[in-house]
Parts: sequence; structure tokens; C-alpha cells
Amino acid sequence: MNAPFYKFDLFGFDVSLIIAFVIGIGFGFALERGGFGSARILAAQFYFTNMRVLKVMFTAIVTAMIGVFYLSYIGYLDLSLIYISDTYIIPQVVGGFILGMGFIIGGYCPGTSFVAFSTGKKDAIVFILGVTFGVFIFAELYPFIEDFYYSTNMGRVTLPDFFGLSYGMVVFLVILMALGAFAAAEWGERVMAKKGESK
Amino acid sequence: MTALTHILSKAKLLVTDNEHAHSHVEAKPYSNPYYVGVGLGLVLLAAFVIMGRGLGASGAVSSVVTVGVNAVAPEHAQSNEYYSAYIGDSSVSPLKDWLVFEVLGVIFGGFLSGMLAGRVKSGVEKGPRVKTRTRFLFAFIGGTLMGFGAKLARGCTSGQALTGGALLGLGSWAFMLAVFAGGYALAYFMRRQWT
Amino acid sequence: MKNYIMNLSGSKKLAMVGLILGLVAVLLGNPYDNTFAKVNVKELSVEAIRDSEIINVKELAEWIIEGRVDYRLVDLRDEEAYKNYFIPTAVNIPTSKLLESNLMRNQKILLYCEDNIKAAQGWFILKANNYKGVYILNGGVESWKDEILFPSISANASPEEKIEFDKMVEVSKFFGGSPQVGETEGSKEIKMPKIEMPAAIPMNTSGGKPKREGC
Repeated sequence: MNAPFYKFDLFGFDVSLIIAFVIGIGFGFALERGGFGSARILAAQFYFTNMRVLKVMFTAIVTAMIGVFYLSYIGYLDLSLIYISDTYIIPQVVGGFILGMGFIIGGYCPGTSFVAFSTGKKDAIVFILGVTFGVFIFAELYPFIEDFYYSTNMGRVTLPDFFGLSYGMVVFLVILMALGAFAAAEWGERVMAKKGESK
Repeated sequence: MTALTHILSKAKLLVTDNEHAHSHVEAKPYSNPYYVGVGLGLVLLAAFVIMGRGLGASGAVSSVVTVGVNAVAPEHAQSNEYYSAYIGDSSVSPLKDWLVFEVLGVIFGGFLSGMLAGRVKSGVEKGPRVKTRTRFLFAFIGGTLMGFGAKLARGCTSGQALTGGALLGLGSWAFMLAVFAGGYALAYFMRRQWT
Repeated sequence: MKNYIMNLSGSKKLAMVGLILGLVAVLLGNPYDNTFAKVNVKELSVEAIRDSEIINVKELAEWIIEGRVDYRLVDLRDEEAYKNYFIPTAVNIPTSKLLESNLMRNQKILLYCEDNIKAAQGWFILKANNYKGVYILNGGVESWKDEILFPSISANASPEEKIEFDKMVEVSKFFGGSPQVGETEGSKEIKMPKIEMPAAIPMNTSGGKPKREGC
């Protein structure tokens, strides 16, 4: 058992910043390859014409989830040392809904807007300014919404805890769900493509 | 460190191998989304294994905003609990932060990939029926909602949906459903923007 | 069959790999059984006040002399302290490694440390992880020294106490200790002879071969 490396003091804070940069490169590279530097591709998700967002995101989640599961099963990775934020269910759902609306209006999410910016999309710069402004507003309003922000705290809850299923069972169900979603997405794209042709 | 470079190079190989795979919409072909997903998942896994934390993006914006406000109105920043949490004991700059460096990497990595695929091109992403000025206005409004929502939800699509999703966090999955709900709820009214 | 698989597209192969890994995951169940535990606090708090889970050193001495093997004696101290001296038949499992050990949940486990507090911490960790029969050696190594290895008796002891003490001398000698006679009560100058590992006692751990859990 010697992972996560950082938590076992295998290197210091300064080195962690270099690692952050390197991991960021991998992250940005993958996002760009996925076509996430384009607001139109991202928005197409919500019109069922191109489901790349769903495909990439769920494949990534499933891949990392399987990796975490097996690495901790063989005792290499200590799952309890990986940071999971606490669940504050209502603020998170409300925040997610607002964020989703921002997604379809603005065309990006924070991570993808940086990639779009680096590949020359001017609207991404405006979007990043918007995000900055949004964070500023949040911080200024923070004293007034602090109570709401900290409401409905459920602690560090995971799906296996919540549903009372074994971790492996949840892993399996998520994989099944993802595969189902992929099949539906492929089918939906074909239907929408046909519809586009007949117009 | 060797494990890191190994995983990263593996992830990149997976992605680059499929540069010429098909894509339905764009003339410039993007990679097979499932292969990209596996690559992205391995990057995320590398973050878990090496750092014990996931990816993020909006947190870096918070650091920048904090530094900005602190520079303009230090007293105000110190008295606001939200900023002061980022400032800490002011021994370390809020910019010397894991997420800030990660986002710098994202910008560089995105540029690298775009260059290699010939996709770096100045332009505006919008639907054919909308003016650039309108697009900018909507981009700013959308960004503002995004920034506010991400702070309220304690993370954005990278930090909550991707990272928390892979760790099976309850809040993250609820968040993810809410994001899709919010997007689909407004999609109809936004169709002029994109189609 | 083989051809069918080879002819699938890359994406479909990925999907199959994912499905197989998922099915295996169902069988494997939980990766972090050991680190997170659901604790029935009430049950624990009720059990915590029961005296039946505290074994005193004389009882343990009897068990060892009788050669009982229905329990495992666990030394929670660090390796160095253990090397210096341990109660015969004890195995060394420092507290931090308790959950990685091959102790079995249905076994009778007797924990000891320097004192009761440290042992109680181990007791809690095991109890919280659904180990059923966990016991504590009252007073730990200190009591073992005082009562078994170097029992003492004051000069003006009553006849009953003397009879009791004579019994203890036998026990003490069995474990290679040296009884202290004639010391006045409260005297701080008890000579502590260097503790050496008793050679006469067979050192193999009781409880037979350790079995792997969850076969």
C-alpha cells in the first residue's frame, strides 16, 4: 500500500505543483482530442446531434472508477486517502442546475473553456471572464448565502453507502448504465442524422 | 515519477493513435470519443494515484479572483470569509496552488493537441444564425452562471462530475444529473444560438 | 466465437472489457472493508462496560500453563519492546497493523500493551471491524511484571496471603520470574532483574496455522 504517493510523503508540495502541470497537460490534451475545445460540439450534446460529451465523460468516469476499484482491491491504493468532497445535497443540485443552464447558454464549462482559449476561440475568453465574474459575485454574496451553502450536509457519502450495496455492485451498475447510455447515444445520433438528411 | 510518465504516455498513445478515426459532424476529425474517454480516465486515475485528489478547473478561478480582490481591496478581502479561506495565513500566495498549476497545464496541453492536429485557429464558436456580438453576450452570461453555480455546487464538471463521479460520491452524481437537467431545460430556448 | 470478437470495432471491444471488469467487481465486493467501518455505537458502549472482556494476568498465566490454544495472545507494542520481552505465546502485531493481520473474526483474541488504555484502543479497532471475541489483559505488561514475574509480599502479611503467595511463587518460577519476599510495602527499591525470555516455554503461537480470510 503506497498510493496515493503524495499522501505518503513521497514528494513535497513544490514537486506536486510540477506534477499538477504535467497532469494538466494530459487533461487538456484529452479534452482537445475529444473535441471539447469547440462550443458547438459541446452544445450539440443538448440537441442529441452529437453525444461526444456524454461518451467521453462516462467513459472517463468508468475507466477511472474501474482503476480505483481494482487498485484499492489489490491493496495498492488507499481509497480512504483520496479526497471526496462532502455531500451537501440541495446546494449541489441547485448549483448543478445553474451550471447546466450556464453550459447551454455559454457553450463551455470551466475546464473546456481553457482548452478552447488555448486553441484560439475568442468566445472562450469572454466566457472565462464571465466565470471570473460569476465567482466574484458568489464570493461577494457569500455572507448572505453561507447558511444555504452549508445546508443539508450528509457527510462523506458514496453511492454504495447510500444504497447499501457493495462497492463492486455499484461499479457494475454504473458500467451497465454507461453502456446503455452509449448504445442509446449511438442510436440517437443515427436517428438525428437521418432527420437532418430528410429536411 | 516513472509511474506518472508511464501512465501519461500511455494515455497519450491511446489518444494519438486514433487521430484519424471517423467523426460525424466536423470536417476536422476528432478522435474516437471512447478512446479519448479511456485516456481522460487514465489521466484522472493518475491524479488519484499520485496526488490522492482528482482534477478541477473552477478552483483555479477562485484563486485568481481572490488575488485580484486582495490586490484592489485588501481589507474587504480579509473580512470576507470566502476570500480569506483562499488567502489563508498569507504565507503562500493563493496562486501557488495545485489547481492553478493544473489549469496552466490544461491550457498548454490543449494547445499542444490542437497544434498537432492543426486545429489551432482564431475564431468564434457559434451557430450560423447568430451574430458574434450576441454570442459574446451569451458567453459572458453563461460564464457568470457557470462560475456562480460551480461555487455553489463546490466544483464544476471536472471537479464534481468527473472526479466525484469516478469516486462514486453521492453529491457528485446528483450534481451531474442536475447539470444535464439544467442544460436540457434551456436547450429549446437556446436553439438559435447553436443550430 | 473468436472471429466474432476479433471483428468487433474497437469501441465494442472496450465495452466488452468494461462489462467483464464490472462483473468481476460484483464478485469482489468491497475494496475498503478495512478502512471504513459501520459501528454500532450503542452495542459498543454497552460492551465497553462489561468486565467479562477483561482478563486478569493470573487467569492468563493459568491458561498458558495449561497450554490452552483456543485463543490468540497479541502484543500491541512496537517491535523493539516485543523483542525485549513478551508474554510467552504472544504474537507481535502493532496497533497500526491490526487490520492487516491474519487474525480471524471468530477467534478469541486477547490484546495487551503497556497498559489498559493502549490495549483498549486496539480493542475498539477490532470491535468496530466486527471481530467478535476481543479481550484485554488487565494492566498489560506492567501488571504481568508486578503480579506474575516479580510478585512481592510484605513481611507482616496474613497467613492467607502467604498461602496465596506461595502459589504465585510457583507460577512466577514457571515464567522465569523471581518473587520478592520481605520487602516492606510501598518500598520503591524493588530490584528489577533483567527480564530474559523464558526458555522452557514452547514459543510457537497458539491457534495453529494462520488461515487466510475469505476463501
